[in-house]
Amino acid sequence: MEKIDKITWEIRDDIGIITLDNPPENYLVRPEFLPYDTLKKWTSYDYLKGILICGSGKHFSGGGKLENLYEMIKANEDIASRMEEGKAVLDHLENLTIPIAAAIQGICFGGGLEIALACHIRVCSENALFAFPEINSRVLPGLGGTVRFHELAGFPESMKMILGGDMINAEDALELKLVDQITPKATLFDHTFNLLKKMTYDRPMEVIHGVMQALQNARKLSHLEAMQQETRIFCELALTEARRRNKNNAK
Amino acid sequence: MEENDRSTIQFRVNEGVAHLILNQPPSNKMTLAFFSEFNRIIDQIQDNPAIKALVISGNGRHFSSGADLPALLAEIQKQSEVDTVGKLSFIPDFMRANYQSILKLEAMNIPVISAIRGVCLGSALELALFCHFRFCGEDTVFGLPETSFNLIPGLGGIRKMTSLAGKANALEFILRGKTFSAADALKIHIVDRIFPKRQVVDITLGFIRKIMDDYRKEKSGMYLKKFLPV
Repeated sequence: MEKIDKITWEIRDDIGIITLDNPPENYLVRPEFLPYDTLKKWTSYDYLKGILICGSGKHFSGGGKLENLYEMIKANEDIASRMEEGKAVLDHLENLTIPIAAAIQGICFGGGLEIALACHIRVCSENALFAFPEINSRVLPGLGGTVRFHELAGFPESMKMILGGDMINAEDALELKLVDQITPKATLFDHTFNLLKKMTYDRPMEVIHGVMQALQNARKLSHLEAMQQETRIFCELALTEARRRNKNNAK
Repeated sequence: MEENDRSTIQFRVNEGVAHLILNQPPSNKMTLAFFSEFNRIIDQIQDNPAIKALVISGNGRHFSSGADLPALLAEIQKQSEVDTVGKLSFIPDFMRANYQSILKLEAMNIPVISAIRGVCLGSALELALFCHFRFCGEDTVFGLPETSFNLIPGLGGIRKMTSLAGKANALEFILRGKTFSAADALKIHIVDRIFPKRQVVDITLGFIRKIMDDYRKEKSGMYLKKFLPV
């Protein structure tokens, strides 16, 4: 197990687990979540089949602490470049070609919500609460949260959440497609972990990467390019599979 | 009325409504011959202004069990050029033609609806996903099982699942390769309506006949939604 700034990393059954470990609210020590190099190192193992992000104890995360941010500004720290690093960290997570799931219970606010939004799958317990409270301190989500939330829930709902600072519960979040599944909190971690395992169990790495790459393309490329790439990945895997079957038949 | 019953596809046009039937019962497997016939018919529909609507279904109990995998693998291997490290240098022409037909289907300015019953797996589901609407029987079984054969859906199925069902559902159903029911499909927006299986095709034909004239003027999915039978 590794630990930095109250965030731990371990690998269990080829699934990486990032735990926000600063209870009770699991506030982020750094407003940018993690140093970019740390995340890159953690996620560099080529046998890794998925990543689960969760909070320690009763909550997911209350996000960054605003007082910390003010201290940093007072101390003349370069906040802008920290936020840029934070965005790079979440982009890196989101662009990984293995599935990333968030297991969310209790509060999931601000930077915590932004981390969850960078995941591919969000599972939460019935008692989860979501909010962007930044507006109450006259700032706004700064790690790509406005963009990712808008992508999921559309313009009017984004205004309500980000401008209104409204807090929503698990059911509302499911309706907004902010979360994908709700489970009882007692089984939240196991359910999410097993979901990742069931999805990746006995799937070859190149198939997992292929599916994930095609999913990422669907978001980033034009319709036609995404189609071309999907067929290309299919043909590459088909070629590998055809060779494998030929070899088996020759035996 | 034109009719062609000889091949992998039955295709008929009746009073402006084209009906394309996958015709290799019982499984209606999508062979290489099927795909070349399909591509030809799609072009023919595009060039025929008398066709005002298209319904796609399967002959018999099933829509289709998807591609003929061994034949497909062999053909890809035969037609692929690889570079020095064994990587694919370009997509084989026949695979390109297949996804281009599916894109043409999606872009048609006439309503395109698939009437699905029985099994609808792999490439067959991809074909259905690119129709504008999907009506299915209550016992239909859907699935994208490609990953369990070390492959991925390759005709735009991943892209379309993501936009219809969302990233998380797409990821789960594709990576797990598990089949899912008509009720699940409705819940994740993969189908639009469920009907008694014996009536799906007739209801679809009747429905499309009712809306096809207005659809040409409106060209809007939202407009069609208003008229969806309950």
